[in-house]
Amino acid sequence: MAGDVKEVNLGRTFTAGIWDQNPVFRLLLGMCPTLAVTAAVKPALTMGLCVTFVLLCSNIVVSLMRNLLKPHLRILMFTLTIATFVTIADMFVRAYAPDMSKALGPYVPLIIVNCIIIGRAEACASKNNLFVSIMDGLGMSVGFTFALCILASVRELLGAGTVFEYPVLMAAGEGGWFVPWAAMSMPAGAFITLGLLLGLINVITKRKK
Amino acid sequence: MRSLKHFVEQSWLLITAAFCCGLLLALTNAALKPRIQRNEIGELYDKMKTLMPQAKQFKVVIPQAEIAANKTDVYEATDDKQQAVGFAFVGTGSGFADKIKLVIAVDKDCGKLLGFEVLFSNETPGFGSRITEDWFRGQFVGAPAGKLELAKGGDAEKIDEQIVALTGATVSSEAVVRIFNSHIGELKKQLQEKGLIK
Repeated sequence: MAGDVKEVNLGRTFTAGIWDQNPVFRLLLGMCPTLAVTAAVKPALTMGLCVTFVLLCSNIVVSLMRNLLKPHLRILMFTLTIATFVTIADMFVRAYAPDMSKALGPYVPLIIVNCIIIGRAEACASKNNLFVSIMDGLGMSVGFTFALCILASVRELLGAGTVFEYPVLMAAGEGGWFVPWAAMSMPAGAFITLGLLLGLINVITKRKK
Repeated sequence: MRSLKHFVEQSWLLITAAFCCGLLLALTNAALKPRIQRNEIGELYDKMKTLMPQAKQFKVVIPQAEIAANKTDVYEATDDKQQAVGFAFVGTGSGFADKIKLVIAVDKDCGKLLGFEVLFSNETPGFGSRITEDWFRGQFVGAPAGKLELAKGGDAEKIDEQIVALTGATVSSEAVVRIFNSHIGELKKQLQEKGLIK
C-alpha cells in the first residue's frame, strides 16, 4: 500500500463527499439502503447515522493499519473491521431505538455490504493518513445522510402527507384535500423519486459548468 | 520451519484483529443485551396489556409451547384480585411479503377471542399494512374462539366468525385468519391438557 499522498486539501476532501462525489447522487453507491429505507425521514436519518458511525470507525481503523496491510489480505481485513462496527451499530439501535430497529429491519446489518464503506476503505483510507481519512469519512457520510433525507422527505410528504412525522398536508378525511399516495411509500416510489432527483442534480451540475 | 514463520508473518494482523473485534463485540453484547431483551419483553407486555386492559399480572403457564409448528410462551393474565382474565401467546404465519407475528389473546375459558396486536409484519404499505387498523382488528374482539372464515364483503361491525377482508389485501387478511385458525385449536388442546381450562 502506498504511503501518504503529499498535499491533500482537508476541506475539499470533506465537501467532495457532499456534492462532487456524493455517494448517492454522483457515485450511485449504496443503492440498496437508498431505495429501501427512505419511505420516511426518521428511518432514513437513523440509517444515515449508522452509516456515519461505521464509515468513520472503519476509515480510522483502516487508515491506522494501512502500512501493515498485506495486499492479498486487505479485503478480508476491511470486511472484518466493517462487520464489527456494523454489528455494534445494530446492537445500539436495537437497545436504544427499538422502533427504528423494527422499521429498518435487516437493513442495518446489511450495511456490511454497503459499497460506500468498503469503497472508501479501498480508495481513501488505505492510502491516506488519519486526518484525510476522517475528513473523507465525514464528508461521505454527511453526503449520504443528506441524500437519504432529501429522498425520504419527498416520499414521506407525498406518501403520507407528513415530514419527520409532522403533518404538513391535511388528509382528505380530516378536512384537507390531500389523498395519501401509497405508491410513494412503496419501492416504485423510491425508484421514481430517485430517478427524478438524479435528473435534477444532473441539470444543476451541467448548468454550473 | 520456514512455513510456520511465513504463516505468522502473513496472518498475525488478521489473527490479532479478529481477536480484538471478537472481544469488542462480546463486550458490547454483554453491555447491551439486557436492554435489548427488556425492550422485546416490554413490547410484548405492552401489547398484551392493550388486549387485556384489566390484567395486572402475566405469568408463563406453558413455557415454549409448540403451537402450529411455532414455539411460544403461553401467558396467563390475572387481574388485581388474582382472577384469571385470559391467555395470550405469539402466533406466527406467512404473510404476503414476510412472516407475520401476532400477539393473540383469548378469554379465560378460551371461548372467545380478545383480539390481536401485530408484533411484526412487513406487509405492503397502504394495503397489507392495514391489518393494524382498528376496524379490521375489531372484528376479532369477542368473536368465537373456533374456526374463522374470511368474507369478501359484509358487515364488519357484526361480531361473528366471519371476518371481512381488507380491500386490496386479501392475502394479508387471509394470513391473519389462517394464523388464528391454525393456533387457537391447538392452544385449546394444550390448555385442556394442563387443566387450565375445562
